[in-house]
Amino acid sequence: MRKYWQIFKINWDSVLVYRFNVLLWRVRMMLSFLTIYFFWGAVFSEYSQIADYSSASLLAYLVVAFFLQTLVFANDSFRITAEIATGDLNNYLLKPMGYLSQWLARDWSLKVLNLMCFMVEITALTLIFKLPVFFLTDWCRWLVFLAASVLAALLYFFFSFLVSSFSFWYPEHNGWPLRFLMLMFLDFLSGTAFPLDIFPQSLAALFKILPTTYFIFFPAQIYLGRLNPGEIVQGFLIMAVWLTVFIFLAKKAWQKGLQIYGAYGR
Amino acid sequence: MAVIEVSNLKKYYQVFQKEPGLAGSIKSLFKRKYETVKAVDDVSFSIDAGELVGFIGPNGAGKTTTLKVLSGLLYPTAGQVSVLGYTPFDRKPAFQKQFSLVMGQKNQLWWDLPALDSFLLNKEIYEVPRVQFDQTFADLVTMLDLTKVIKVQVRKLSLGQRMKCELVAALLHQPKVLFLDEPTIGLDVVMQQKIREFIKDYNQKYQVTIILTSHYMDDVKELCDRVIIIDKGKIFFDGKLSEIIKKYADRKTLEVVFDRPMEKKSFATIRAAKIKTFTPKRTVFTVKREKVNQIAAELLKSFPVVDLNITESSIEDIIREVFTGRDFS
Repeated sequence: MRKYWQIFKINWDSVLVYRFNVLLWRVRMMLSFLTIYFFWGAVFSEYSQIADYSSASLLAYLVVAFFLQTLVFANDSFRITAEIATGDLNNYLLKPMGYLSQWLARDWSLKVLNLMCFMVEITALTLIFKLPVFFLTDWCRWLVFLAASVLAALLYFFFSFLVSSFSFWYPEHNGWPLRFLMLMFLDFLSGTAFPLDIFPQSLAALFKILPTTYFIFFPAQIYLGRLNPGEIVQGFLIMAVWLTVFIFLAKKAWQKGLQIYGAYGR
Repeated sequence: MAVIEVSNLKKYYQVFQKEPGLAGSIKSLFKRKYETVKAVDDVSFSIDAGELVGFIGPNGAGKTTTLKVLSGLLYPTAGQVSVLGYTPFDRKPAFQKQFSLVMGQKNQLWWDLPALDSFLLNKEIYEVPRVQFDQTFADLVTMLDLTKVIKVQVRKLSLGQRMKCELVAALLHQPKVLFLDEPTIGLDVVMQQKIREFIKDYNQKYQVTIILTSHYMDDVKELCDRVIIIDKGKIFFDGKLSEIIKKYADRKTLEVVFDRPMEKKSFATIRAAKIKTFTPKRTVFTVKREKVNQIAAELLKSFPVVDLNITESSIEDIIREVFTGRDFS
């Protein structure tokens, strides 16, 4: 376990070593949130209600979604795709440590750092822009929300890992074409820029079974109290199924991929 | 006792072949031609504990591929490989704690951090006890004279300093087997010599089994008693370095200095000697081993010789001839 703790720490070191880079990173995170926030602010200056969201409830959703993005999507493990393509994977394969575990450690290291910055930033933004932050007081719901958030982060990790594994077979451009496509879908289907239930009811059944719904939208709905206990249980079950599927597929792809891995570049 | 055993190892790759130009690119979108490259083709050898073996061959001969298979990075197409009793591709932690692979052209150190951070990380990864770590670390830093650089960002180190740090990172867990893939590549002659001395001392001190690949014959000459020569994926020599000369050098070199300028055609009478380099007052011949005495006597008798020197062909010459396609079979 100590080795993963050491990886956790050394990842912080390598992020914090460049101060200007850290500054730009934080500006980028805040700008991406403010762009969406002000876009919806402008929309609500014309409409009082969109689907069953009022201005206040939608903007509150965006703040929770911002929090979830910092937790679920913050990752260093996107580098896996390039490591396979360039042969840098060799460094890890030679050493007595789990490749998945070391990337989990690096991802959580970044997530914790990201969350700490988020707390400072969201406080500053709330004071400046009077954000409609919704404070949850029900500790039971807090627990359910945190469990859903951690599960969402794990679900995203294995999903992303599976996408990266394609580099074993398609190492072109360090695997970025497929990753870009994935990110495009995520923007649309995970609920970062808008809640998914603003779409027509006919799409609700589809969103319910898609794994992407559970990255941001599902935990955010729990936080905002928009789901009944039955829907929460159902959501957790679907998440568990997807997590099992992604872990199984990621491990299979990894085993098969390593057999054809060329260890290029060295 | 054999620490490394390789029998009938094969590693084949499928390589995509593209016609040149835009037309070739468009055609390759629809139809692709693949060719099988035999990077390693039926290779067998065995290495005992404590041996320091040189693995030499031209670019693309299959040296690095073999080392990658021995390290468990590549899955062999066919054949059996055993290192320290383990099958490398199983990548068992107990095996990984007992070997290291150092590549001269890549680094394992964290680029943006001082090398010391990477060393401490390796301590945890390899689960090295604190006392052993402190001792080995102090020993290596002293041997490689690194005290002043371990706290400097890796990106700011010179190539030679970085290579030394790579060696420390690879040796902190005291591996029993060490694979060194061109550890002196790109280094100046002084640094090459230092790295060489270090490898020699380390091998003697810790009795580590080492396979070394290098393009620099000096590395091999100074460090390795035994060499394995590989070309186009096949081994065609495995034995003592001195045996290469016996086995392949069927000619000797005669360097002759004359006291007055000679004409090239005047040597036409000495048919058994080939002129390697000619200047009017100094000419170098190559002569079949069994004819050396006869030719030397003939030269001394018929020409105004002031100096005559008979030498063996250098290992570099032999290997160069081997690599440029001379058929020794």
